[in-house]
Amino acid sequence: MLNHVFAERVARLREALGRFMYGMTGFEFARHAVEMRHEMETVFMVVTMGDLIGIPVLPPVYSLRLLPYVVPEIATWKRNLARRKEFWEKEEYDLHGV
Amino acid sequence: MNTLLAVIIGVLTVYLAYTRYARRIDRNVIQSDPKRATPATLYMDGVDFMPTNKNILFGYHFKSIAAAGPIVGAIVAANLWGWLPAIIWLVLGVSFIGWASDYSGIVISIRNDGNSLSAIAHRLVSPRSRTILFMFIFFYLLVGASAFVGIMANVMESQPRTHLGIILLTAMGLLLGQMLYRWRTGLVGATVLTVGVTLLGILAGPWTEEIFKGFNAGLNAMTGGTPLVTYFDPTLANFKGADAQIMPSLLFWAIAICAFCYAGSVLPIWRMAQPVVYVGFWISALSIVLGLVGAALATFIKPEVAQFVLPAFKGWNPQLGPAGIMPLWPMLFVTIACGAISGWHALFGSVGTARQIENEADMLPVGGGSMLCEFLLGLLALLAVAVGSKGAPVGAFATGLGGFISVWGVPLQYATSLAFAAFIVIVLVVTQLLFRVMRVTLSEWLGDVIPPVRSQHVSSFVCIALAILVVMTGTWIYLWQLLGGANQLMAALALLLVTVWLASVGKSWYYAGLPAVFMYVTTIASLLVTSYNLYFNVYQINLAAGRVVPVIGSGLMVMVALLLIVAALFIGFDGWRAFLRYRRRAAPTPTPTPATARA
Repeated sequence: MLNHVFAERVARLREALGRFMYGMTGFEFARHAVEMRHEMETVFMVVTMGDLIGIPVLPPVYSLRLLPYVVPEIATWKRNLARRKEFWEKEEYDLHGV
Repeated sequence: MNTLLAVIIGVLTVYLAYTRYARRIDRNVIQSDPKRATPATLYMDGVDFMPTNKNILFGYHFKSIAAAGPIVGAIVAANLWGWLPAIIWLVLGVSFIGWASDYSGIVISIRNDGNSLSAIAHRLVSPRSRTILFMFIFFYLLVGASAFVGIMANVMESQPRTHLGIILLTAMGLLLGQMLYRWRTGLVGATVLTVGVTLLGILAGPWTEEIFKGFNAGLNAMTGGTPLVTYFDPTLANFKGADAQIMPSLLFWAIAICAFCYAGSVLPIWRMAQPVVYVGFWISALSIVLGLVGAALATFIKPEVAQFVLPAFKGWNPQLGPAGIMPLWPMLFVTIACGAISGWHALFGSVGTARQIENEADMLPVGGGSMLCEFLLGLLALLAVAVGSKGAPVGAFATGLGGFISVWGVPLQYATSLAFAAFIVIVLVVTQLLFRVMRVTLSEWLGDVIPPVRSQHVSSFVCIALAILVVMTGTWIYLWQLLGGANQLMAALALLLVTVWLASVGKSWYYAGLPAVFMYVTTIASLLVTSYNLYFNVYQINLAAGRVVPVIGSGLMVMVALLLIVAALFIGFDGWRAFLRYRRRAAPTPTPTPATARA
């Protein structure tokens, strides 16, 4: 029983250390990749569904066919675009240890 | 005193500050509630707002705040006042102020819909405080970048053994960016290759030392051994001050550093800045971990590298130059910045980490825990310089850290080479980011008035030219203290904002308010002392000698210091008025927490 508890604690510690290391190493690349994808998706959304945020884009048949796939993303997309962003929230401001 | 005892003091500080003070504030004042929704969960957009595991965030936040700041500050302070005042300030600073600033930067953002400090200041204090904060950042970056370029150019010129490692670091950083984002190579394989090659280059440094020495000699022969610029440097001749000379080799390495920073500033972040930081992180992390554990083990394995050599106390007002003053208060408290408290952490935490906190119970381990760990980094730097007090401050640090690493069986020559390279790598990767941010700030600030500044090449060039001008004053210690003053003032303003917010929601404000007042008064006093030193110790002496460049550079630094003081007075006045306004107002009815509402 005691061994089991100890083994569980060691496993938890190992998992926490693994995540800590990931936070210091790969997490930043993963975030940046997500940001790059997000920017491309924003361009795609504006081009195809711009009328949702007031940019007059005539909806071609392709936009209408894409609409069901886009609907789940619309709320977060609009929120992201509407949020007031400080200029120091740009990627260049990801400073490391100053 | 030996290193084992110092490490025990450090670990005890972290334990006691976290469990006896920080947790109490988190529980009783902030009343963090794991069931209350955070901005990350409320506004999740998959990019900025993204709930993330606390251990991942802990690693991310720690890496983001820990680098050159805690190392350089401890080195300078130990050499000026001795190791005892430095260690006392590190311990007290992080226990009562440092963790509170980092943690509160995250808390205030989370409790205000994930808004940045400037946006909250705009709402709670006054609209102009946002503009002033903006100006603060630009000058903070300018003095920071200049201080780092000055330090690095001197170290690189005097340590030819580091050059191969730095050249390979740049090449491997570029390769890593290409591998990860273009060739889509796995991270582990790419890391092993790029970090391995860089490490080999660093360890092979002593073999190439003679080649680079010859290269430097060749450069200096171009002017027949005549210096390009002569200036008065109060830090020379054991802090009594003497004329210093800029030789062609020093100028070459300063330009090489600036070229590196220019590329890091204008290339896409994934192409150079980010991968170079990543490779540099592994080199410095390896040195720091080996050094910290080595410092603890050295007492048993290699006692000769574990004994403190530096005097414990050198005086209340050590001599620095013919007319300089360096009183322990306020100067120690800005010389050691990041290891004890840092304003940049709060700024970064509020726009970066806070938006990824999954649950309020994670605010303390991520914000406070990271800062307490950074204190250990500052402590390691202090230990290294305290045991290896031979030569210039940076040389003493490298000798000390090399001694700790040699406990693992690495020959001392290679261990010292690794320590030197680790120092340069840490500073170099930060400097390129500083220039990058400064370029963006300048474009945003003056882009509408001076359209050419919108070009990233023009703005980068202007930033680098300004930094070089300040570097030519040759007073990197004053530059460092100016940076520390700006940084600590930003911390004081962040704490002031937290105090105003605590008053506005009817909570006890003492844990943030008292440190805010102390740091505010201390940093304004330190900026006044630095202005005095720059004027009487650098400006006037170089003016009397008819040296134009150091006169312009030191005059610029005095103006920056005075501008920071004026800006701080405005924010302080607005903050005080806002504080009184909220204190006089009736305390608001506490909003029921989700848990209470359900009950």
